[in-house]
Amino acid sequence: MQSQDKLRIALLSAYAIAIHSFENLLPTPIPWLRLGVANIITLTALMLYGFRAAMMVTLIRVTLSSIFIGTFLGPGFIMSFCGGVSSTAAMGIIFSLFPRLFGPVGLSLIGALFHNAAQLFIAYLLFVQQIKAVLIVTPLLLLLGTITGVVNGIIGGMLIKNISEKSLNPPR
Amino acid sequence: MKLSEIRRGEKKLIEGMTLADMLLLAALVIISVSGFIFIKEAFPQGTDVKIEVNGRLAYKLPLSSDAAIAVKGINGDTIVEIKNRKVRIKESPCPNKICVHQGWIDRGAIICLPNRVMVFIEGSEGKENKTIDAITG
Amino acid sequence: MIEKFKIQDSKVQKANPSFILPLFKGRDGGVIFSSALLLFCSLFILSACSPQKEKVYRKSKVLMDTLITISVVSGSGDKAEKAIDKAFGEIEKLDRLLNFFSDSSELSEINRNAGLKAVAVSPETFEVIEKAIYASGKTNGAFDVTIGSVTTLWDFHKRVKPEDKQIKERLPLVNYKNIILNKKSSSVYLKKSGMLMDLGGAAKGYAADRAVDVLKKQGIKSGLVSIAGDIKAFGLKPDLKPWKVGIRNPRAENKADEIMAAIELTDLAISTSGDYERYFIIEGKRYHHILNPKTGYPAEGCQSVSIIAKDGYVTDAFSTGIFILGTEKGIKLLEEMGLDGIIVDKNGKIHTTSNLRGKLEIIGDSQRRKKTN
Repeated sequence: MQSQDKLRIALLSAYAIAIHSFENLLPTPIPWLRLGVANIITLTALMLYGFRAAMMVTLIRVTLSSIFIGTFLGPGFIMSFCGGVSSTAAMGIIFSLFPRLFGPVGLSLIGALFHNAAQLFIAYLLFVQQIKAVLIVTPLLLLLGTITGVVNGIIGGMLIKNISEKSLNPPR
Repeated sequence: MKLSEIRRGEKKLIEGMTLADMLLLAALVIISVSGFIFIKEAFPQGTDVKIEVNGRLAYKLPLSSDAAIAVKGINGDTIVEIKNRKVRIKESPCPNKICVHQGWIDRGAIICLPNRVMVFIEGSEGKENKTIDAITG
Repeated sequence: MIEKFKIQDSKVQKANPSFILPLFKGRDGGVIFSSALLLFCSLFILSACSPQKEKVYRKSKVLMDTLITISVVSGSGDKAEKAIDKAFGEIEKLDRLLNFFSDSSELSEINRNAGLKAVAVSPETFEVIEKAIYASGKTNGAFDVTIGSVTTLWDFHKRVKPEDKQIKERLPLVNYKNIILNKKSSSVYLKKSGMLMDLGGAAKGYAADRAVDVLKKQGIKSGLVSIAGDIKAFGLKPDLKPWKVGIRNPRAENKADEIMAAIELTDLAISTSGDYERYFIIEGKRYHHILNPKTGYPAEGCQSVSIIAKDGYVTDAFSTGIFILGTEKGIKLLEEMGLDGIIVDKNGKIHTTSNLRGKLEIIGDSQRRKKTN
């Protein structure tokens, strides 16, 4: 791995950790379920530096921020780990298969969808074990995920545009 | 993806969104909204049968699963039966058997005063008497 | 995949390792990013920390040989529960004092000592009897709590219709004027031996009054006490609307037809007496539990009578009294007293006092014609 790659990953991870940890302070209707605002960084990493970088950023983000927050290996960690990994994987696969089909918003939507799906699945397996309860919250989460997905996608798109412009015309 | 591609792509975007983006967004919105409706249909309000004895909650059962249960009242066992999303009192030790004669209900309540057994279908007061808080008479 | 890009921006990085940082600072990117984050935070904090909303808490219990439901509007479930339990406690106390069927009640004590001696009673018992006598006076004896000796001849569960001779024998024992109250010693005396006082027609309304008082003392601003057909409402619901009470259709054929009318109430009580509550039919004739004190037989002329007034004891006693008086006399007395009432006559026609015009919402069944006097 080249050093600039490491640098990028480190920087993006730092941002992601900050956002992730901050998001964790916000209350949510269902415990351990998070919106995944940090997905903006994953998205940026994916579209600019590829799948590998994105996955690295996600893993670092999930692990380190859970250590910071103090939920490492706890239920919250399992939820965000599975959510993060599956959403990154889904976005990465779609992006490498059809690089031009989806823009940042579409990718972010896919990410949010898989983020929610994974979390619901884990919640069902580990905590709730009542398919009815899971089904009832599904549409709500889907809708919330769609909204945050769009917002994340737009912000991510801006970020990507900004970074690529800066990279082409570096400030002197 | 090359940077030039990103830029080229941006030109055909409407505010940063491709056609696929919009289709995906529309599909997700439709799915989640229809999901709300589906959930409402599949799990309507009033899915719980609450059985109280002397004002205390004795059992809480789902209306969706068939069951027969013996509820101990002050004069003996009242048999409450749940079947096909309906509830009835099958047997009762009370003298007048009004509760048994009431037959199957899918909303509201059956109350057996002598045996102090009350069977409510939760949240079901809704349907048509939604705005009515109490009934006199 | 991103070779070209990498080479290009590696130069930037060497010049400025914190290459992303400026993006968050300068230009619109930073502004949008931070404002979006702020939006997220504020939205979530708002949604999570919105003040605790007022809700209706409801509890039912069997007391006074009937189902009692108390609804209370409160911001806290604990407070609501505590208030409701206190109110049930009050009703339970009244039930112990006034139960006709319990040997240990003060009422039974009075009845046992009929023609023997005056019985000292608690202020509550004294008050109900005082109020019942007031209603008897106003209805010219149509409502009479001393009907007990005749009531006990009938059994509406076992379909027992007494002999005419039996009823005639007992009728002299029915007269509210033979209840002697002594306020000083708080004692009650039934003049004639064999007299039986049955407070069934006043105790529930009175209990609703007392329960509401208890709820108010517990700091409850709004609630509804429903003791069988005797309902007392106060305050407004969380949606700031008055409480809505349905009036039962006396000849409902199915569940959908159960309610014939609805009325909105606040700080008012409503009671209904109907010939459909306890009855049996022999040879096409309906024998129900509302007995005329003058004849000892079920009162004819009405199917149901609902009375609306400030106090529950008034509505409870007058719904029975007006039922016995019949439609015409009943409406006249109500108008005189300034009370509101809804009478369904024997043909199923609805009569209301003039004040109720437009306030009563008639539900369903278009065949039933509404007639206002």
